[in-house]
Amino acid sequence: MVAVRRELRIDADVARLADVRAAVREVARVCEAPSTCMDDLVQAVDEAVTNVIVHGYRGQPGTIDLTAELIGDDIVITIEDRAPTFDPTTVPPPDLSIPPQHRRPGGMGIHLMRLAVDSVQHRPRPGGGNILILTRSRVPRAKEA
Amino acid sequence: MAMLTRVERIEAAVPVTVMALDGELDASNYLRLVDDVRQLYADGTRNLLLDLSDLSFIASSGLVALFSVVKVMNGEEPPDPEYGWGAFREVGRGVEQGAVQRAVQLCGAPPSVAEVLQRTGLDRLFVSHPDRESAVASF
Repeated sequence: MVAVRRELRIDADVARLADVRAAVREVARVCEAPSTCMDDLVQAVDEAVTNVIVHGYRGQPGTIDLTAELIGDDIVITIEDRAPTFDPTTVPPPDLSIPPQHRRPGGMGIHLMRLAVDSVQHRPRPGGGNILILTRSRVPRAKEA
Repeated sequence: MAMLTRVERIEAAVPVTVMALDGELDASNYLRLVDDVRQLYADGTRNLLLDLSDLSFIASSGLVALFSVVKVMNGEEPPDPEYGWGAFREVGRGVEQGAVQRAVQLCGAPPSVAEVLQRTGLDRLFVSHPDRESAVASF
């Protein structure tokens, strides 16, 4: 059963990131998520949306649709764009044993996104673009309990 | 929410410029922070304390800004913004070299900001202090 659902559409502009974060905080509050969960969701969504704006649309006009739902104890945030297909789940995690000059640029934001949520799923959007699904349980993680 | 900066100069054992960051540091404003510090350095600042007490959010782009600030304050060119997120290769290099520099120090990082620094290893580039007073005294 979906107890909470919120939607937001923004233009692909970094000036809208603050609005995105505010919306995520509001969803987390409505879902009665603890502050660590709220902070993690804000981080993950900010990094994901920034990636779409900066690397996906690359300064070109576009829109990004965000949907947040509470499903059971999971807060599920779906980010939909019409930018070229890019699957962040295929980016290898940064490995400190690898010389930094061989690391993939942009991996730090994706690294932060992954650490902040329980799962990251990607699929191409029918008709072009991407659908990214970030899931974070509102139940505190072991170290947060 | 925009980010505001407040700059104060304190005469301690050495002159210390304190820059307080208030708000959220993200992809929309991180370059401005680097520009502000570049101006401070041009005006003679050599010891910079970033007071993060009122910084409520830092994105990965904000981490690039912090790394760039260290470069500027050490008289080096920061990663080219046009080089973009590739600047993180530079960040990684700095972290791996593990050289704790002292020209830029941090204080008052809220838990959420400290967590991001720790998760990316960038905390190892900075001496961090719980509050402004102890930080100023340590320069």
